[in-house]
Amino acid sequence: MKKYFYTHIVDTSSLSLELADMSLDPKERLHLISLINSNIHHEVLDLILSELTPADKKTFLMHLASDNHDKVWRFLNSKIENIEEKIKKTAEDLKKELHKDIKEMLAKS
Amino acid sequence: MTQSHYKHLRDRWRARHEGLTRKLWNKHRESLDWLSNNYRQLVAGSLGGLMLLTGHGSNPSVSSPYANASEPAVQKIDKKVFLVSDLAKILPSMVRVLTNEEEQRISDILSRAFGLKVAAELGGKRLNRSYGLIGSEQHLVRYPGDTLNTHFDSDKERKSYWQSGMAPGFGAWRYFASSKEALTQLDKDREKYYIAVQTFLSKDFNSRFAEYRDFYKYRKMLVVNPNNGKAIIADIADAGPSEWSGKHLGGSPEVMHYLERFDGSQKGSVLYFFIDDPDDKIKLGPINELS
Repeated sequence: MKKYFYTHIVDTSSLSLELADMSLDPKERLHLISLINSNIHHEVLDLILSELTPADKKTFLMHLASDNHDKVWRFLNSKIENIEEKIKKTAEDLKKELHKDIKEMLAKS
Repeated sequence: MTQSHYKHLRDRWRARHEGLTRKLWNKHRESLDWLSNNYRQLVAGSLGGLMLLTGHGSNPSVSSPYANASEPAVQKIDKKVFLVSDLAKILPSMVRVLTNEEEQRISDILSRAFGLKVAAELGGKRLNRSYGLIGSEQHLVRYPGDTLNTHFDSDKERKSYWQSGMAPGFGAWRYFASSKEALTQLDKDREKYYIAVQTFLSKDFNSRFAEYRDFYKYRKMLVVNPNNGKAIIADIADAGPSEWSGKHLGGSPEVMHYLERFDGSQKGSVLYFFIDDPDDKIKLGPINELS
């Protein structure tokens, strides 16, 4: 799977393991994992873009497009206070929601 | 039942995803349009960081393996893919000593994936590390008089592993059996699937030598190549390599071959965790099926 610039601080294994417990078909599990990652990615991008000025948004997107993680982090750290913690929190909040989705579904079945 | 679970979560998370995409574009349309117009080639390319921003990529169903489920080549997805993916999210980019938290997460994943109870620490004892670079070891003499001429059970084995040679000395526990006649299948497997680990770098090794010696003798370990998901049940039968070698453990020719690891400039990393097997029920050798 693709490593994003924030992959090392966002651990989704708890969700992956929970899906593993459900005896899903491998293709299904892979698809759900891709949806998890995609949802997290959009939340993280929204968080970052919401904290930047229009000019900085463009700079950030250029660094993101170049896939240079070091540049992305250097830029974000210079522009947004505690960005690492904010990304972690955003991802954690979403993970809680996704865990809740699983829990609710299992409770109904 | 599980099919309905999948559909339920897929629909829910897909709807959530569509909502997030809409929100993202509504709030940041100007910047995203700018990027799309100025970096079209990049956006349309394979850059995962941006693929999701494009119209096509924003719908996971298009790029998901499930969308192509009718194609035979995609139908069989190796479970190792999940393992490799899960491990990649936790392992550092450089090979280093793992933190206790990282070890715990990884041992949870490995225990689940292989249906075994594995841990970096067992009975208060632990090696100097659980993630390191593996190098090649040679075959070990199993009984007095064992040579390369007597070492292999088949021509295939001989052809594959002869060139690795025989270690000039004994393994850590000397002979595996007292004679050729006394050699059992377990003895053979213990030599075939052995690893050498840096027992001497364990904390308080010298002051607790006898305790550690008894603990490490043929102790089973799960050894995993995190890059391809291949795993083998190995046993500790030698001590090494030296600290200055730049390697952290060694594998028998058979272990290295199975894990697809090589020595020298191509040396790569493995995870190695103790297996909690008090009843000695787990067999040594490659694990072909994930649970």
